[in-house]
Amino acid sequence: MDWEAFKLSLLLAACTAGVLMPLGLILARWLAFHRFPGRGVIEALVMAPLVLPPTVLGFYLLTAMGGNSSLGKLWIAIFGHPLAFSFEGLVVASLIFNLPFAVQPMQRAFEALPPDVREAAWVSGLSPWRTFWRIEAPLAWPGLLSALALTFTHTMGEFGVVLMVGGSIPGETRTLALAIYDRVQAFDTQGAQLMSATLLAFSIGAILIANGLTARVGRRHG
Amino acid sequence: MAEPGLSVSLRQSGPIPLDVAFTCAPGEVLGLVGPSGAGKTTVLRAIAGLYRTRAGRVGVDGAVWFDSETGVYLPPHRRRVGLVFQEHALFPHLSAAANVAVALSDHPRAERHSLAMALLSRVHLEGLETRKPAELSGGQRQRVAIARALARDPQVLLLDEPFSAVDRRTRVHLQAEIVALRKDLAIPMLLVTHDVDEVARLADRLCILDQGRVCLTGRPDEVLAQPAIRALLLGDEAA
Amino acid sequence: MSIVRRSVLSAAIGGVVISLGAASLMAAERAPTIAAASDLSAALPEVAAAFQARTGRQVRLTFGSSGNFTQQILNGAPYEVFLSADEAYVETLRKAGRTEGSGALYGTGRIGIFAPTGSSVRADAALTGLATALRAGQVSKVAIANPDHAPYGRAAREALQKTGLWDALQGKLILGENVSQATQFAINGGAQAGIIPLSLALTAPVKAAGVFVLIPADRHGPLRQRGVLIRGAGTTAKAFHAFLQGREARTILTRHGFTVPGAR
Repeated sequence: MDWEAFKLSLLLAACTAGVLMPLGLILARWLAFHRFPGRGVIEALVMAPLVLPPTVLGFYLLTAMGGNSSLGKLWIAIFGHPLAFSFEGLVVASLIFNLPFAVQPMQRAFEALPPDVREAAWVSGLSPWRTFWRIEAPLAWPGLLSALALTFTHTMGEFGVVLMVGGSIPGETRTLALAIYDRVQAFDTQGAQLMSATLLAFSIGAILIANGLTARVGRRHG
Repeated sequence: MAEPGLSVSLRQSGPIPLDVAFTCAPGEVLGLVGPSGAGKTTVLRAIAGLYRTRAGRVGVDGAVWFDSETGVYLPPHRRRVGLVFQEHALFPHLSAAANVAVALSDHPRAERHSLAMALLSRVHLEGLETRKPAELSGGQRQRVAIARALARDPQVLLLDEPFSAVDRRTRVHLQAEIVALRKDLAIPMLLVTHDVDEVARLADRLCILDQGRVCLTGRPDEVLAQPAIRALLLGDEAA
Repeated sequence: MSIVRRSVLSAAIGGVVISLGAASLMAAERAPTIAAASDLSAALPEVAAAFQARTGRQVRLTFGSSGNFTQQILNGAPYEVFLSADEAYVETLRKAGRTEGSGALYGTGRIGIFAPTGSSVRADAALTGLATALRAGQVSKVAIANPDHAPYGRAAREALQKTGLWDALQGKLILGENVSQATQFAINGGAQAGIIPLSLALTAPVKAAGVFVLIPADRHGPLRQRGVLIRGAGTTAKAFHAFLQGREARTILTRHGFTVPGAR
């Protein structure tokens, strides 16, 4: 069991969720509640990581972040090492390829809110900010939770993009999924099995918890 | 120049064509009637601040809520307006009392519950304050919606086809509530409805809207006697 | 504050704190990463253990194809030592200014044909068993490493071309991303045969899975394996690079099938 890889995966998932939850929420609300020209384009861009092969995404990210790109060179100038092949590079890649998982469930949840409920809140004297906290969020809660669970588990399991952007550097970018691959190549099937089972249990567990909480919240609203 | 009551003028060529102007005095019930698509709901939403027309002015008791010439536009939460939606629009996750209390944020927290209870009993819903909207009947939900609108201590009360979603018997009860309320409240009340009998019974004055324009204003018995108006309204209902 | 608000706030704060913590963790001093061709995946862990026993210092190992690592290093990957399976990739990096010096030869590798137990192919040095099975239509898959970025794959291709089997095998080759993956394909029963490194053939799992016979070294270009320090390498990396040239490391490498410099 490669605990370092496990810790790395958890950390990556936590960082991604920590940044993408608030950012994704803002984007999801904006897309849900506003009609504007170009909205379709933004939605397509958000969905793109879902349909792009991970290696294509990884390749473009590597080109954009590697030591030969302007971003890479800037990063080297500031931090002394390139953005690619580093944990920070993984976080950047992770934010991008998790965008649809974070935004779409939240957007659907906000879209499902009856529009007159929001209007009733405003007309009752609640500012848009307070309307969000007291009316929108409690009603859209299952969607937010879904987004969190999906983002977290997806990051834990992501392989192609992490491999291309991060290499498989132990202690830096060798996440659990990559460690499994590494163990298989080293003929350590036992290690691979143990880690695979862990990842599987973790992912299913997270989804079960999220679904369970969602059902409970749903029941409260009748 | 503090003119009491509501004064409205709204003009735009599209996307929803509108060209209306009317006033409503405190304690007066003004009915807005017309065929579907005439723009009645749009007018109410514009007064509430949920819709912004290209040009116009909305003033209440001398305060300006909207004026396209000076660029004034108050968002809905800054207008003290009571709006009863067609489909109640209650907050599904809150009890009846909590629904009403949402509109009481101006009041100190300690007072809100008792004020909400008082409003609910005013609309004859005592005992049901802990129920969620899903646990209430259609008529009860509309009463909660009315209580919530009143909780805002509004300067204008807007009713958007408030009884179209309930059965006939409940509708009669609710109409009686409005009549009773109107005696207590000294604010302009706008009632949008399809129901000609209802508006004849409740309104002091009528505004007939057709394709965004006011065709006629006057007392119900006068206006509704005109054959052209009857054809416009009832012909539409028959269809 | 409502519970929703508090939860979201703490999650956001937690997210920021974790990110900062992660960044500082990563900044801490760590053992150098050695990028090594996959044919060393059995030998190098032993060498690293011996290095640690002798010097008390640790290194991190990562295995893959030489071509892949070369690309990554050109893109700025933070490896400190690169152990390629041939010399050409090292030269590429040296020309690109990524190395400190031109490195040193650490051993020569060998390839051979592997036939899993029960395969229709009989393993032999001249590859006649493979040829026979091919003609009889009994071969659907043969595993080699990808010649485009794995030197052992290139050597396999050369050997197959020299014995006239390359064309006949088109459409039947499964290309491993590196020699480890190719070996996986060969022993897992997905292929009737594979051309794999001697160093991996000597490992227990491979030995137990079938028969391996060396292919004569004159059938392909020599697999002269060169290791080099990457520019910016630290003291531990330099010590490891030197250790590889020493007697202890060479003994381990020889045991794993490499011909070390100076040996017959």
